[in-house]
Amino acid sequence: MITESKFQQTYNFGFIDESTKKEIRRKLLKAVAIPGYQVPYSSPEMPIARGWGTGGLHATLSLIGPEDIFKIIDQGSDASVNACNLRDFVKRMTNCRTTFDTAEATLIQTRHRKPEEILTDKQIIVFQVPQPEPLRSVERYEFKTRLMHAEADYAKMWVSLYESYVKFGAIMQGAGYPVRVNGRYIMTPSPIPRWDVPNLSMAPCLHVFSAGREKRLHCVPPFTKVEPLEFEDVKFHVEDFGAITCAASGGDKAFMDEIYESETSRKFVMNDSNFMDKVRSGTRPPQRLFTNPTV
Amino acid sequence: MPTLLKVQNVSKHFQLHIQNNKHIPALHDVSFEMDQGDILGLTGKSGSGKSSLMKCIYRTYLVNSGTIQLHTDSGAVVDLATANEHEVLKIRKTEMFYCSQFLSVIPRVPAVDVVAESLTRKGHDHAEARARARDLLDQLGLPQELWDAFPATFSGGEQQRVNVARAIIAAPRFLLIDEPTASLDAKTKDVVIDLVLALKARGTSVVLITHDQHTLERMSSRRLHLEFGRVRELATA
Amino acid sequence: MNYQDSDNGWLLRVRNLTKIYGDPISNSIQYTGPAHGTNICPETDAIVACAEINFDLYPGEVLGVVGESGSGKSTLVQLLYFDQMATGGEVHFKAIDEGKTNIVTLSNQRKRQARSSLMGMVYQNPRDGLNFNFSAGGNIAEKLLMAGNFHVGRIRERASFLLEKTEVPVKRMDNTPATFSGGMQQRVQISKAIANNPPLLFLDEVTSGLDVSVQAKVLDLIRHLQRELGVSMIVVSHDLAVIRMLTDRTLVMKNGRIVESGLTDQILQDPQHPYTQLLVSSLL
Repeated sequence: MITESKFQQTYNFGFIDESTKKEIRRKLLKAVAIPGYQVPYSSPEMPIARGWGTGGLHATLSLIGPEDIFKIIDQGSDASVNACNLRDFVKRMTNCRTTFDTAEATLIQTRHRKPEEILTDKQIIVFQVPQPEPLRSVERYEFKTRLMHAEADYAKMWVSLYESYVKFGAIMQGAGYPVRVNGRYIMTPSPIPRWDVPNLSMAPCLHVFSAGREKRLHCVPPFTKVEPLEFEDVKFHVEDFGAITCAASGGDKAFMDEIYESETSRKFVMNDSNFMDKVRSGTRPPQRLFTNPTV
Repeated sequence: MPTLLKVQNVSKHFQLHIQNNKHIPALHDVSFEMDQGDILGLTGKSGSGKSSLMKCIYRTYLVNSGTIQLHTDSGAVVDLATANEHEVLKIRKTEMFYCSQFLSVIPRVPAVDVVAESLTRKGHDHAEARARARDLLDQLGLPQELWDAFPATFSGGEQQRVNVARAIIAAPRFLLIDEPTASLDAKTKDVVIDLVLALKARGTSVVLITHDQHTLERMSSRRLHLEFGRVRELATA
Repeated sequence: MNYQDSDNGWLLRVRNLTKIYGDPISNSIQYTGPAHGTNICPETDAIVACAEINFDLYPGEVLGVVGESGSGKSTLVQLLYFDQMATGGEVHFKAIDEGKTNIVTLSNQRKRQARSSLMGMVYQNPRDGLNFNFSAGGNIAEKLLMAGNFHVGRIRERASFLLEKTEVPVKRMDNTPATFSGGMQQRVQISKAIANNPPLLFLDEVTSGLDVSVQAKVLDLIRHLQRELGVSMIVVSHDLAVIRMLTDRTLVMKNGRIVESGLTDQILQDPQHPYTQLLVSSLL
């Protein structure tokens, strides 16, 4: 451990140097301009390992300003180790205010969830993405997947959905359900649950998806159509929690975590920690809920 | 009767490139005409060019010089020696039928379907075509148990019956028929002759090759005698 | 070459189609071909896989392409099916822009569209035509999905129908073709190729490598489908028996050129070119 303060350097605001930030912002502008298109970017070294949220940090740190109020969640929780560490890092590098309150935040970084609460046009949400290429499961060569995107050649993707239906009686993709953005590119929404997928469509906030290890970022701009891939007779469904209520807050109609307490009992709690806190305090925030088709 | 076929100065030889460029003459300056509804018998010894001439008309052989003008049903005059392949195929499909000396059929197709196919390719209903095929095979004396068998396994005479049936069932406008009665018994021979004459009565024109004097005499109205690939005599019977 | 330039109902018109690998010089075509006994340019080692290819195909017609290995016959159908990019020449297809467009110059997107709904290809090796990671039904579904059919029920209905027609047990529909016999794999390939009722089908050595009885059944199936669907076909084979059984007309290729073309019975009984004569005399 370095204790001698004379070795400690002062860092640039937001850790990343200004010219690299500029580069990332330019790539973000391109990604906004072509919704769902994966833009390659520099992905500079960060003081954490790739695959632990570097992509999210790149986007966050090049977007954040001194006035921003920052929130970061991991699997819906403000308190998980990864979220805490990254929050401390961003705080030290920017001295910005941080918050748990979804409504108060101006910039939210997330892993694997979009908050239940409706985000506004004053907010940007940054997703940490492990694998930005939705076609990777059906085509292992990058040069081929790029061609497939360029030519909107998505037959293989569709066949894999067909195969999933034939094998299992349903499309089994749980997280990272493939979506078509703005009627053109097929995109992975990062491994968010199906529950969150409909909330990407026509939302007032800007969604930034950033994969540090793969050096790609893509965006869903505000009020952009996002459609989960579905067949005419096999429709997209979100997770069905039925009448299950949260053991901690008593609320329902939110994405739930299943917690096993012993061999025979289990309970459910809301996955979004801030949302649960608000429900518990009796001020349930506005939410957009998706109704599964009856077929 | 109007002219059906006008053959002018047709010569044909084979150039065998892979056997020291061997030159085999087949036809020399053959010219003749035939009218619609005629049955023209080609006569001559083996090797005199009868089959070669017939194959030139059918375009299985390419002539080296000369023209073979066919007056088609639509009134057009087509030179079969030089016509576009597609056009020849169309004429083969609609009005010209070649019945070779030996039955050559697609393997693994039952006899009745071999015969019916001549009708279905002209657009006839499949069931109706099969019914008529059975009728005709019956007339020609092909045992019923063979109708659904593959002709490749048949005897010479049985194959010949299928071959003839296939040629005449669709009443082609122009029939080229090579030794139709060669391996048939006297009774069946007369059935075949009667069937072809019945076609003639309905307007079919026929070019016939036969070594059988009886068949020739009963059928042909005119004869073209070939010797060493040249026309020796063109006579009305 | 005996063809007419007038429009008389052709389906596919090919003019001067050329494919050269490597660096050609202006004389590469002149220095290669059957007269030189090679398709390799002596100056640059460029390979003239095929050149000066001209022919018309008519609706419902079956055209054979015959020649030895390396004569360019597979390259020819691969160019037509857009598996490879032509170096030059023109191809017009009545089903695309009424034949007015040179389809060699189409965008990749339109080429894929054409491949998926207007053409079908059956390769010698089923692995070239089928995705073995998908089930047999999934392979057929791919063609249907590409043509805009997004109804699983109808896709499965059509796939069952096609498999039945090609005599593949429908209960094997959800198995991968890797578990099928060679003959069955070819049948699945054929099902896939005809999934969208294309007016044009390419068959590249489809029976080579199958044992004789299976070969016969696959040929019977192709012949039967041709009759029933009236589809135009280009059949590539080095086997004259296959050519005789399936085709109306035949092109004979050698060293990347067409050396002779004609009605199939004429090619077999009165071959003109020395190479064709050799080929026919080699027939067992």
